[in-house]
Amino acid sequence: MKKIKCSKIFIFIFLVLIAVIMLTPFVWLIISSLRPNMELLSNPFSIPETIGLQNYREVLTRQPMLKYLFNTFTVALIAMVIDVAVSVMTGYAMLHQFRFRKKLSMMFYVGLFIPANAFMVPYYIMITRMGWYDTLGGLGLIYGVVNLPFSIMIIRGYMETLPIQIIESGRIDGASTNQILMKLVLAMTRPGIVTVCIFIVINSWNELFFANLLTQSDKSKTITVAVKSYLSAFEANYSFAFAAMVISILPTIVVYVFLTNKIIGGMTAGAVKG
Amino acid sequence: MKKRYLILYLFPAIFFAVVFFIVPLFYIVYISFFEWNGLNAMKMAGIQNYIDVLTDKSFILAFKNTIVWILAAVCIHIPLGLMLALLLNRKIWGWKIFRVLYFLPNVISITALAFLWYFIYHKDMGLLNWLLEGLGMGDSAKGWLTELGTALPATIVPFAIYVGLTTVIFMTQLATISDDLKEAALLDGAKGWQMDLHIYVPLVKPAIVTNVMLNVAFCLKNFEYPFVMTSGGPVNTTTTLALYIYKKMMNANQYGISMVGSIFTVLLGLCLMVLVNSLQRGKKGD
Amino acid sequence: MFKKFLCGLLSVSMMAMLMTGCGSSPAPAAEPEAGEQSNATTVEEASEPEQPAQADGEVTLELYHSWSPETTRGEVLTSLVDEFNQLHEGKIHVNVETNPDFPAYQEKVKTMLSTGTAPDIFHYNYNPNDLSYFESGLLMDFTPYMDAEWSERFESSDLETLTYDGKLLSVPFESAGAVIWYNKDVFAEAGITEFPDTWDGLLEACKTLQDAGYGGFSLFTGDDAWYSVNLITALWIANEGAATVNASTSFQTPGMINALNTYKEFCKYSTSDVIGGNYSVAGANFSSKKTTMAIDGSWFTSYQDEAVIPSIGVAPMPANGDGVATQGYLVTDAQTPWAASAQTDPAKEAAIAEFMKFITSEEATKTLTMEGSVVLSAKLELSDTDLAGVTEQMAAYLKVNGDAPSRTTNLQRNLSTQAGAELPTLLESFLLDQITAEQFCEQLDELN
Repeated sequence: MKKIKCSKIFIFIFLVLIAVIMLTPFVWLIISSLRPNMELLSNPFSIPETIGLQNYREVLTRQPMLKYLFNTFTVALIAMVIDVAVSVMTGYAMLHQFRFRKKLSMMFYVGLFIPANAFMVPYYIMITRMGWYDTLGGLGLIYGVVNLPFSIMIIRGYMETLPIQIIESGRIDGASTNQILMKLVLAMTRPGIVTVCIFIVINSWNELFFANLLTQSDKSKTITVAVKSYLSAFEANYSFAFAAMVISILPTIVVYVFLTNKIIGGMTAGAVKG
Repeated sequence: MKKRYLILYLFPAIFFAVVFFIVPLFYIVYISFFEWNGLNAMKMAGIQNYIDVLTDKSFILAFKNTIVWILAAVCIHIPLGLMLALLLNRKIWGWKIFRVLYFLPNVISITALAFLWYFIYHKDMGLLNWLLEGLGMGDSAKGWLTELGTALPATIVPFAIYVGLTTVIFMTQLATISDDLKEAALLDGAKGWQMDLHIYVPLVKPAIVTNVMLNVAFCLKNFEYPFVMTSGGPVNTTTTLALYIYKKMMNANQYGISMVGSIFTVLLGLCLMVLVNSLQRGKKGD
Repeated sequence: MFKKFLCGLLSVSMMAMLMTGCGSSPAPAAEPEAGEQSNATTVEEASEPEQPAQADGEVTLELYHSWSPETTRGEVLTSLVDEFNQLHEGKIHVNVETNPDFPAYQEKVKTMLSTGTAPDIFHYNYNPNDLSYFESGLLMDFTPYMDAEWSERFESSDLETLTYDGKLLSVPFESAGAVIWYNKDVFAEAGITEFPDTWDGLLEACKTLQDAGYGGFSLFTGDDAWYSVNLITALWIANEGAATVNASTSFQTPGMINALNTYKEFCKYSTSDVIGGNYSVAGANFSSKKTTMAIDGSWFTSYQDEAVIPSIGVAPMPANGDGVATQGYLVTDAQTPWAASAQTDPAKEAAIAEFMKFITSEEATKTLTMEGSVVLSAKLELSDTDLAGVTEQMAAYLKVNGDAPSRTTNLQRNLSTQAGAELPTLLESFLLDQITAEQFCEQLDELN
């Protein structure tokens, strides 16, 4: 009995250690974001002499950070609408048997392994020719495309775990295929849909490749592009950069803290079963 | 009647597949045979672009680095995630808090993470060197991202240690294991790590496949970490395929070369798919 | 039957996409997707404000440049555009979009041009060895608007340079000389009273500075390696003279090889982030006194921290003391002209010309130089009273700039695009002892 307790304490310490390694950078980030630039440059680890929110005030007045956050969210929303609609339809159709089912299934699977970045040039040309360069719609569409194979996999995988009898019973009741889909399948696939949405939000908050390529002005810039600009813009002000980073991660952290269980639970609803 | 709905429902997916995957694929193959700077007329180049790319040291490096990323995902990231999941699975005091903390970095943008780690590795004002000095190992302090030997591992470390998502996927699978099985194993006298190794690990194989798939896909299009931390330097040692494609198009305006890089990336993806697929078959065989 | 229908649909959508991909049709057929319809509305909303404006006969121009409005020069340019908009209220309106990351800005302009989404007006680095802009046929021809009065504003050689195939495809704008900016106070603190007039002397000074706890030059290898290449170019000129360097078609010369090796020496006295650093990192190093010198254009002070500006002095370029090069020579940035994308609407073309005339007028040039600390291509005579109005740093800069015995373009600016893209890698391999100076020059020649 005692031996087990010992090992438990050991594991606990180990877990704390891992958490410390993972999270120390963030503590440093937050402290640094509160210090003036010159102090940070000359003495990054000294005990802060001056601490204040002036960096945040500067960043928020210089750049429309809230607009960038809004843009990022809008882009994610567009991608979500596309992906959820397409995936639910596809997933439902794939529940049935038909001639090319296997081949189609293979095609979706291949899609998972084709890195969309390889299509940088064609996508860029398509979006600009459609006149959607530097618009939220253009970037949202591409994010939808990039995330589509994955959302199909998750939603399909989730649907396959649903009890098929319910759908059959719906059919016996005389409901049309359409209504079955809308009412039953959609309602039952909710956890899978939540998973897809969370994935898309996380990916949109991460994505820099296409965001860099397809946006230009404030009306479509996403938060990642704004944060990146602090590292490459001509005037290196690290305090501002840190403050901008905190602003960029704040919304996701707040949402995460409030919805932890939903997110962690939803995150994996489809993933494992697929 | 049913068939019509089937086509209706499948149409969007097929439309997207054709327009955004198949057509672009033909397009990049087509462009890959031309010399083109994006502005002026395209010149037929035959297979010259392919020869150029295959003899380009930076491409070989980028290809190799992408493989290193994938290996890091499979050999470090996923095992670490699995280990943490198994430890958390023992329901030690505070395990829920740990789960939340470990997942936290996954909701933060990679751009911000990479930017943060750029500072951690900085020679003069970085956290890492400061810590090393504090531990009396000031001699090993260096510019982690600017030295040839350390740059690539340094760009991979943040990815390798932020295993929150991987861990959570494992934990969900672990939660589905029935109590009967656990009790049976306990009665057999299995305990601690034996239980983990012989009972849990084989049972989470589907989650392993999912995680491999997710992480391989991530590594194939990995762009943000090297782009933000090093722009692919020093001497291209941290360039990945995605960054190579980007640089050839944006910096050097060699669209043809960029497309050849894309084609090889797609081919690598297909090879990995076959590999993962065989892994998955193994799963079903169990 | 349905299979056929499906096949038909597929091939139609495929064709539509191929056509859009190849650029002949403006938009694909209507999509059946709900998600996409919402996109379409976003686009319409975005372009809506332009519609009524055009109905009124007002011409809207998109101006894209890299001068961040947070810097002095950007501020002045913005106020000039505002002034122009007020002058032409109801007729012409110029919308400004900026991207302060110049290398990224240039890449963006190129990709935008290639897909026909270029802004109406933009500036770029002119490179005699990469005329892709001119050859593209996508630039507006200014010849019809270049009357005697306007052409008086420029040096005829500048106009000649920007003429291609009988068409004037750009309007001269900026041509900046780079000088040595240094921190006078730190030099004094380290006991260096006179700025050295030879490069050997400067290396000695760097040693002294290092002993006092300071670095030498701000240098970096990322992006266009601007500070590094400025130093290399300057050292090369010192070794072989400006005339030889200007005429040289190869980098494999003893003077260049020697310059590279001296540059490597200077790197030892710089910061640890030379490798992989970029303009902003190197600039911040000067601001925080980690380095004490930088070779940069007139805009240098506007990117520096306010606290450090009073300490900044300007020094003429050192020579080798052997008479090969005359001290005070200039390394210059590429000529950075304005260009406009080719227009189909004559009213718009006229509006662009109108704006160009305004921004290169004597008044605007004076404002930009005096208040924005930029040196422009257009002719400008400054009286003594004018000179009294500029900052101490700007006055010192103008003096060195005016006295320069020769001008040589930073060698990176004349590289082919491919060679330019590989330059950071080559510099890094050289600094990390993977290749020698000789190999560096050889490989650069090969790429160029």
